Amino acid sequence: MKRLIVVCLLVAVSGCVSDSTGEDPKTAPKTQKLVITGSSTVAPLAAEIAQRYEQDHPNVRIDVQTGGSSRGMADARKGLADIGMVSRAHKESERDLTPHLIAHDGLCLIVHATNPVSELTREQIIHIYQGQIENWKEVGGDDAEIVVVHKAEGRSTLELFLKHFQLDNSEIQPDIVIGDNQQGIKSVLGNPHAIGYVSIGAAEYEVEQGRDLKLLPLGGIEASTAHIEDGSFPLSRELNLVTLGEPQGLAAEFIRFAQSEAVHDLIEGLYFVPIQK
Amino acid sequence: MFDFSSNHAGTNHRLWTFFVWTSGILVFAIFGLIAGDVVWRGIGQINLTFLTDSPTRSGRAGGIFPILISTLGILGLCLGTAIPLSLATAIYLHEFSRKNGASARLIDRSLDVLAGVPSIVFGLFGNAFFAVTLELGFSLLSGGLTLACMALPLMIRSTQQGLRAVPDSFRLTAASLGLSRTSTIFRILLPAALPGILTGIILGIGRALAETAALLFTSGYVTRMPESLFDSGRTLSIHIYDLAMNVPGGESNAYGTALVLMILIVAINVTAGLLARMLLGRHIRLSFHQTRSLS
Repeated sequence: MKRLIVVCLLVAVSGCVSDSTGEDPKTAPKTQKLVITGSSTVAPLAAEIAQRYEQDHPNVRIDVQTGGSSRGMADARKGLADIGMVSRAHKESERDLTPHLIAHDGLCLIVHATNPVSELTREQIIHIYQGQIENWKEVGGDDAEIVVVHKAEGRSTLELFLKHFQLDNSEIQPDIVIGDNQQGIKSVLGNPHAIGYVSIGAAEYEVEQGRDLKLLPLGGIEASTAHIEDGSFPLSRELNLVTLGEPQGLAAEFIRFAQSEAVHDLIEGLYFVPIQK
Repeated sequence: MFDFSSNHAGTNHRLWTFFVWTSGILVFAIFGLIAGDVVWRGIGQINLTFLTDSPTRSGRAGGIFPILISTLGILGLCLGTAIPLSLATAIYLHEFSRKNGASARLIDRSLDVLAGVPSIVFGLFGNAFFAVTLELGFSLLSGGLTLACMALPLMIRSTQQGLRAVPDSFRLTAASLGLSRTSTIFRILLPAALPGILTGIILGIGRALAETAALLFTSGYVTRMPESLFDSGRTLSIHIYDLAMNVPGGESNAYGTALVLMILIVAINVTAGLLARMLLGRHIRLSFHQTRSLS
């Protein structure tokens, strides 16, 4: 029993020690710190913008953390983060947070390049995802079962997809549930009878690399970053930074930088579409 | 009905030999395929600048130096906390507690539950407790302590196995010679339990270096060089995950990083083995020989 008490004391002491020394960074001279958390889609972009901002401002430290759009909003609300990252349009019910648009991302449906189907109507897509159409031959393709690739709960691309096709997540009959764009692309590349939806930028890049991927047009409009830019492609989402109320000081300055033309090359480098002012 | 002639037994024997050898080769082939794939696709990415530069363009360009340092820092914190705690707990459970006593049973059950908890739950706990409640924020310290919680059950269990493998004659002989319990533990039991302890440490290192989910919410995503243990830092596993999953065009550097991680794991395991042998092995060699010649 004595040993157990010693173990408990050890834990307690180590806790106290780390707690007291935890104050050090706050007393460090004049280094300003900014914490940004949220969407894993926006995180690489925000981290690159932050890296460039730090280069111009040596006294600034910007920490970008990931964890999903919901987390970004929750952290911004609770004050755990100065700025949240959200990869969808702002909702009416979230008026306590101020959105700052930094880029657009388009979603598109993808199939394997060997799939003879090159266009699907809105109804066909809905029926495929509801499980009413189960074979490619029903939409003019091969006699093969359709493998439906769907996103996991909590992904903002999932919300965008469901909202656009006015589907409810419980209606969907998925064969594969995936997390990220790259995973979705890999699922479709690995299965000639699969259909999935991913960011257009990411899909366009894979096609440029010569991968066997086909982007399906929507409502007769070709899926491309150019059509996201001019606003004609219907299935696109906003990439936002959010703050609790109006941003102040460093946060405001960083957001202005993220919306400026100085970072357009970074946005395009990640296959997103910059905002046109 | 059954022919037990030597000829049949011979066929049977050969069949089994074939089966056992095939299984062995299959297991090695699986390892070989994975390792070969990573080496094949990663070796082209690795050069001196990859190891000494900071990542740029989300890791698609530049190197992984700060990430390597963060990983080693978190691993050091994890082992520094988990090794003493696990040794102490295992010694208490195996050498001091009454068999099936209330406290031992409670600790045993807690360990079983801890060992089965998914890593994402450790991540949420680490975030809520270390990062928010103790105000350590996203930091190497939060990450290292969270990993220590995850590695504890593995390391305690292995140390217990090691202690169980030490014959009771060792303890009785030590007691009959009037050795204090402290010297018995440090000079006889721990050195003799070394294989189990080492297994635990190696499993712990493996779990720590492979972890992504628990670290995303504790040590974080920042690729800058950490200036102290209170800075956020990205580990190699998170870097691989992010490059493979969130960054279009990040695949080749993901393989490069994976190769570095693999080499690091092998190197650390070898070093840990040598170090532990150096620290503990010296004492026991003499006592082993003496006990053997006595019995």
